[in-house]
Amino acid sequence: MVMACRVINKRRHMGLQQLSSFAGTGRTFLGPVKSSKFIIDEECHESVLISSTIRLLESLDLTSAVGQLLNEAVQAQNNTYKTGTSTLLFLVGAWSSAAEECLHLGVPISVIVSVMSEGLNSCIKEVVSLQVPIYNVFDHLDSTKTFSGLETFNISLCPFLQIPSDTGLQKERDLNDVASPSLTTYSLSGIPVKSPKLFRRQTEVEADKNTLQNPQTLKNSLLASSHYRKSILIHSRHFNRTANNQWINKPDGFLEQHGAATPNTYRCNDLVELEMGLSHGDHNSMKLVDEAVRLQYQNASIQQGNCTMPFRFDISRIFTCCLPGVPETFSCVCPGFITVVSISNTTLIKELENQPVRVILIEGDLTENYRHLGFNKATNINTLLESMKIQQNSSEEVWTNYVLQVLIKFNVNLVLVQGNVSEHLIERCIHSKRLVIGSVNSTVMQAFAEASGAVQVTYITQVNENCVGNGIYVAFWRSIPSDVIDRINVITIVIKTEGINLVTVVLTSPVTAQMQTKEDRFWTCAYRLYHALREQKVFLGGGAVEFLCLSHLQILAGQSLSKRNHVCSGWLHNTSSWLASSLALYRPTVLNCLANGWHRYLSTLMYNTACCSSEFEASTFIQQHLQNARDSGSPSSYILNEYSKLNSGIFNPSISNKLEQIPSIYDIIIPKIEAWRRALDLVLLVLQTDSEIITGLGHTQLNSHETEGFLFL
Amino acid sequence: MSRLEAKKPSLCKSEPLTSERVRATLCVLKGILTSSYGPSGRLKQVHSGFGGCVCTTSQSSALLSNLPVTHPILKILTTSMQNHVSCFRDCGLFTAILCCNLIENVQRTGLTPTTVTKLNQHLLSLCTSYLKSESCGCRILVDFSSPQTLLCLVRSIVTSKPACMLTREERDHLSALILRAFLLTIPENTKDRLILGNSIIVPLKGQRVLDSSVLPGILIEMSEIQLMKILPIKKSEAFKVALFCASLSGDFSDTGEGTMVVTYGVSLENAVLEQLLSLGRQLVSDHVDLVVCQKVIHPSLKQFLSMHRVIAIDRVGVALMEPLSKVTGTQPIGSIGSISPSSYGSVKDLCPAKFGFKHFLHLIPYEATICSLLLCNRNDTAWDELKTCNEPESILKDDGCTQTELQLSTEAFCSALESVAGSLEHDGGEVLTDMKYGHFWSAHAEAPSIVNWPDLLSRCGCGLYNSQEELHWSFLKSTRHPFVPQTYLPHEATGSADNLTLDCFTAKLSGLQVAVETANLILDLSYVIEDKN
Repeated sequence: MVMACRVINKRRHMGLQQLSSFAGTGRTFLGPVKSSKFIIDEECHESVLISSTIRLLESLDLTSAVGQLLNEAVQAQNNTYKTGTSTLLFLVGAWSSAAEECLHLGVPISVIVSVMSEGLNSCIKEVVSLQVPIYNVFDHLDSTKTFSGLETFNISLCPFLQIPSDTGLQKERDLNDVASPSLTTYSLSGIPVKSPKLFRRQTEVEADKNTLQNPQTLKNSLLASSHYRKSILIHSRHFNRTANNQWINKPDGFLEQHGAATPNTYRCNDLVELEMGLSHGDHNSMKLVDEAVRLQYQNASIQQGNCTMPFRFDISRIFTCCLPGVPETFSCVCPGFITVVSISNTTLIKELENQPVRVILIEGDLTENYRHLGFNKATNINTLLESMKIQQNSSEEVWTNYVLQVLIKFNVNLVLVQGNVSEHLIERCIHSKRLVIGSVNSTVMQAFAEASGAVQVTYITQVNENCVGNGIYVAFWRSIPSDVIDRINVITIVIKTEGINLVTVVLTSPVTAQMQTKEDRFWTCAYRLYHALREQKVFLGGGAVEFLCLSHLQILAGQSLSKRNHVCSGWLHNTSSWLASSLALYRPTVLNCLANGWHRYLSTLMYNTACCSSEFEASTFIQQHLQNARDSGSPSSYILNEYSKLNSGIFNPSISNKLEQIPSIYDIIIPKIEAWRRALDLVLLVLQTDSEIITGLGHTQLNSHETEGFLFL
Repeated sequence: MSRLEAKKPSLCKSEPLTSERVRATLCVLKGILTSSYGPSGRLKQVHSGFGGCVCTTSQSSALLSNLPVTHPILKILTTSMQNHVSCFRDCGLFTAILCCNLIENVQRTGLTPTTVTKLNQHLLSLCTSYLKSESCGCRILVDFSSPQTLLCLVRSIVTSKPACMLTREERDHLSALILRAFLLTIPENTKDRLILGNSIIVPLKGQRVLDSSVLPGILIEMSEIQLMKILPIKKSEAFKVALFCASLSGDFSDTGEGTMVVTYGVSLENAVLEQLLSLGRQLVSDHVDLVVCQKVIHPSLKQFLSMHRVIAIDRVGVALMEPLSKVTGTQPIGSIGSISPSSYGSVKDLCPAKFGFKHFLHLIPYEATICSLLLCNRNDTAWDELKTCNEPESILKDDGCTQTELQLSTEAFCSALESVAGSLEHDGGEVLTDMKYGHFWSAHAEAPSIVNWPDLLSRCGCGLYNSQEELHWSFLKSTRHPFVPQTYLPHEATGSADNLTLDCFTAKLSGLQVAVETANLILDLSYVIEDKN
């Protein structure tokens, strides 16, 4: 074994360069409008369509040390919050360039580390002023408005940055755009007034779905997915003119103005508004989330009766069922468990329909050879056969017969299995009018266990009367017209029982390659809402938070260090070092570099959302705002002011009617801040690394050109 | 057909230290170690080069164990350093760097190895006796009635690991937690001998550092579904516990070699299961409330136990076995044959707990010295770096102060210590020492030669003295006049400064000894004999 050691930052910091180049690949995923990417494997000529950071990293070759650290950081963010990975990836890139610039300017590494972490922490404290509390959003759930009834404007993707300063021509341009009729022409005309009831019967849903099938919708979605940047993007697909204006004028609207002297306070007490704000332009997915939450809420209030336990959105009880090849408009949300089974089950389902059946739940595989985890099979046991007569049935047959006997004995017609099921058994069960479904998600199993009283078992031998659940209904799921579903050659069934805490979201997409993306986007929206409800507060979104960070850092950089001397030196690990005294010298430089990272973030965001035709244009636009914020004396109240103007439409009465409908954009707090912290941590970790130690690598395994720069032990 | 091959002759090299290659590798190793030293030390990415995990670290324990060095001399060095680290968990880099420096410097002097080893030994005894003496200026007694000094020690250790990526707030929080965990392991009723309990580190990766916490008792991690199955837990005065280290999975993996022949119709699996169920019946009749198994419990046995309202938890892992047995007072049961009633133990209470996205069953003992330290960090790298626990008795203040002071002993030996002190500086600054206390000061490299030092310097390395006292400085590594470091009054001094940088006394002292002795050993080597077969 030979250890090789390589010094990685002699003149230029290789680690930081690698980080910024990796991060550059995810630039277009920042913001609400994500351009998809094709990733092509040159060896086997396979390609995948991706549009999220996490899928991008899955497909990239990240075997280098830095690449793995990056992947680790993104995975950790994704596993914990399921959101914020694009922000993380982008900031890693922006800040590694910033750190590299500091190195070029001769700033000592320790100073970069301490000032950057101080700067970010200061930002995190500062943005608390942009938090919006969420109050009792479920109190108003009975109201008539539903998510799908909202008229939405694309401009809301980035509202803060859209509204320019009070002076200047740009304002007029933007406002004209807002007011221009072109934005509203895509409304679907002639849609009947939506039923105010939240839970309509299936037939009504179908009626709606049919009317939504409109070529315009498809056209819009095409526009959205292409690199369409020239003008403001118009891609909202759920226009419904009939329902507008109902919700804005509610007396308990979230926006309150406390006279001229005090700043405006925001609060959010309306679920639909919150969802709109968190949808970040993906109204389709958020509409499904909204319906799922409402179903859960309804179920919870029925189950509880008069008990006033506060409702908690339980994201683990939402299940997605993907149907590729079905038009997008058939995506919907239903209570119970919807799944796909093979056509051969058709007659069986017909017979099971309209009667309660009994169910057992099997945790492992339902095969003869399956043994529970941790069971080691002895390999050296031979079975001695005494006579030839018992060879008639194979052991598989014996086992299958036994399983059937148990099912018959306990009168079980439905078996849900978490793992695989023996094909032979499935066939035999179909003949004896019993449905066996394999690969069932564990939370689905849990939901059925709770609702039906069944107890999950590992082996069929464990089944006794206590393990069997009652009152399950199996039926064809006919929300999608049969001609559509026949085309994809499966049948969809719904399994449910009274009070089951399980909601299935059926996701459809005519393009199979987009299925994964659709599912990812749904979960992103669902988790955003989940985190927001859990934290009971959100940030003002649309770049407001990042803008505040940017202007705050610039102000910090401009301040002299003297009055905060003791505060800052605390960031250096050892206060006695000479670095502490030279901190004042380098501090503005480092803070400005960090601020530049935010600047790049904002301009890329604007460029991606097609607010600006070039990043340069976006950059000058941000500069202008920054100047205004600085002049106003308090950046946070400047931002709040701009926001309230946007929402109340006070500054131009003629367009107030339209502007009122621009909802606020919200961001979730902790996942966002944690993404920032993770990004900076990663950059600083790589910055502080000076050598790479490769263990277990022989001389021979390094190519001659690679050997350069390596030292061997 | 067997084939015999002549043995290769052993390879013998004389004077291994004179070889150019050994010198070069020693130099590389020293470079790696010195650049990692101290709170602003540079990090190293250690990985296999074939993918797999990347360890970013500046800790001696991680570095030394991951360096697969080839040369026997380097092996001696790394092994002896690893031994020191495994005993004291601290001062590993100090020891290793000092050792490397000693070897290098002595080679330069050209003295014979015997003279050098004797001299080193003598100097070492001078140093240790000075450090142990009352007049030693760098010793602080720990006052166990106030946490301040202990907290400083823990904080110093946590601070010296830059790869943890902690902010000051997080660092303070974590230091306090580690100290609390340490204090929880001290038994309330001490008899003649103090036996410390242990704290179990429960990983919670991906969470915020500030969410870390310390709980008395043991946390057993389990999935939400598993936890739902054992809820609600019936209330009782005490829970009778049976702890199994044998597998209850119902397999028969110990059939030995050869083949076993079984008559058709006989099921070994069923026979073992029947045995397990009779064990279950015994547990139920003994009124056991909680069955914990290191390995797997057969689902049927689990089902049987839960039908009789006995909580069964399996797959707790070997690491938890000793603490579990301590907390509950059980004897781990190693066979499924029969159980003696004396092996049962008990816990005061059981409750479900949720931290982050993980679910736990919390075992609350009557009185025990076991606690669980829930350690959170944003990423794996930083989490792996967070592993420090100490047993401080007497504390040595540090950050170069000691080294600079020690070096006043004698010349040959001292430049080695000097370099250790000097290697705390990674950004090209200048290191100074004062002529009154002999402490460590740091300054900007490009400082003008005539300068008002008190204005430029603020505090010494350990934070005990500030520059406003009337002191004189000289550059480290320059010629200087010998002086006797002044002692101070510990209480006044420690009282005035609340942010000292401290080191564990025993660890540092042992580090010094190990370094000198290892260096002596290596210097004394005259032949390396390698068996090439």
